[in-house]
Amino acid sequence: MNELIFIQQDVLPALMKGLQVSVMLIIPSGLCGLALGVFVGALRVYGSPWIIRLTDAYVVIFRGFPLVVQLFIWYFGLPHIGIYLTPFLASVLGFTLCSAAYHSEYVRGAFLSIKRGQRLAAQALGFTKLEMILTIILPQAFRRALPGCGNEVIYLIKYSSLAYMITCIELTGEGKVIASETFKYTEVFFIVGLIYLMLTSVAGFLLRRLENGLRLPGFDHYNL
Amino acid sequence: MKAMTPESPVLKVEKITKRYGSKQVVREVSFELNQGEIKVLMGPSGGGKSTLLQCINFLVIPDEGRIWLGGKEILHSQKKDLYEYRQKVGMIFQDFNLFDHLTAFGNVEIALLKVRKMSKNDARERALAELERVGLREHIRKYPAQLSGGQKQRVSIARALAMDPKVMLLDEPTSALDPELITEVLSVIKALGADGMPMILATHQIEFAADLADEIIFMEDGVIVETGPPAVILSQAECARTREFCAKLTGLYGDSR
Repeated sequence: MNELIFIQQDVLPALMKGLQVSVMLIIPSGLCGLALGVFVGALRVYGSPWIIRLTDAYVVIFRGFPLVVQLFIWYFGLPHIGIYLTPFLASVLGFTLCSAAYHSEYVRGAFLSIKRGQRLAAQALGFTKLEMILTIILPQAFRRALPGCGNEVIYLIKYSSLAYMITCIELTGEGKVIASETFKYTEVFFIVGLIYLMLTSVAGFLLRRLENGLRLPGFDHYNL
Repeated sequence: MKAMTPESPVLKVEKITKRYGSKQVVREVSFELNQGEIKVLMGPSGGGKSTLLQCINFLVIPDEGRIWLGGKEILHSQKKDLYEYRQKVGMIFQDFNLFDHLTAFGNVEIALLKVRKMSKNDARERALAELERVGLREHIRKYPAQLSGGQKQRVSIARALAMDPKVMLLDEPTSALDPELITEVLSVIKALGADGMPMILATHQIEFAADLADEIIFMEDGVIVETGPPAVILSQAECARTREFCAKLTGLYGDSR
């Protein structure tokens, strides 16, 4: 009984506060990460040789550095050159840049999978390269990239917990604070875990809805 | 269109050459296409017909050669001229290349909106009119995957015609269709020819060629082997290779229609 009262009175309110911060981190990072990822992915396929080299290098670096290290650089490193970010902004920046690097790889694959004929037809009609990419290639490629990008969004939800390493106290951070005050690590982190599970389930559901909403006749696989 | 003097060709192609590595796929091909004229490209697969057609609207950039449309030379390095030129050259592909994410209507409408920058209403009306013209009014809401091959090819013809092309390039428009569907596409092309649309048509449909063509160009290994009116090329070609090829085609397709 004591346990339940403890959870209801101390744990849940703190975790709800943390959850709010987590959601505030995840939504802008997710949206900006996806947008930047699509942009970078397009550049890596259709850019000039120099742009391709540059964006490839970006991806190598941001997929190669551990995310915690990236966060440390944004939060502790940038002040050395006179740029001070709040823990929250440093986290959103770090998540966006890392997430975009992964998204761009899914998007690049999707772009490459679009048949050459689609491009030829657009060019033959007099489309400029930009119009062709935006109105013909991207709508098709985005649909193909979506399952992979959804995967990255789910992953982002969980790595958003790293924000507490640079003192942005979100869900995991709040949990850590309560757990170390009360020594009830198991109970607290079990609940924290459940909340993340809930978040990823909701995200998974929404992503599936989006996928179904964008599904085209001829590309469905219901009966396979 | 009418302003053009009858003797100036709609399209003029001079010494088009395309190499892939050391292989010359198209070698110094020249010809002129006059107003209302239909030229049929024939010859074995791999003979350079497709590459030549794609060179003509710079989907493949030729290594050498010059191209004029209505007396104006087209330089592919001038992007703006190139995009304008491509609008005036309709292209039909063997495998249709409809935009998979758009309905039949969307396929015709999109270039009107994005390339010709027409208003939503004008684009809509024009797209409907073109789909009507190819007999697909009742299928406008269908996606490419829901259309038969013949319907797809007719959508792609409507899509090209909506751009008001001055000349049409057709790259084996019926080769991916089964015999029953060929007729519906051929009749659309025939009607186009009757309307005076200048066309270059690559095909293996020998009777259709005989029926429609003003001139047959026989191509092999990237060069024009022989040109002439269908009656001559199909029955008494000078070149033995042309005769052999045409005889085989007649054997294959000649009785099918």
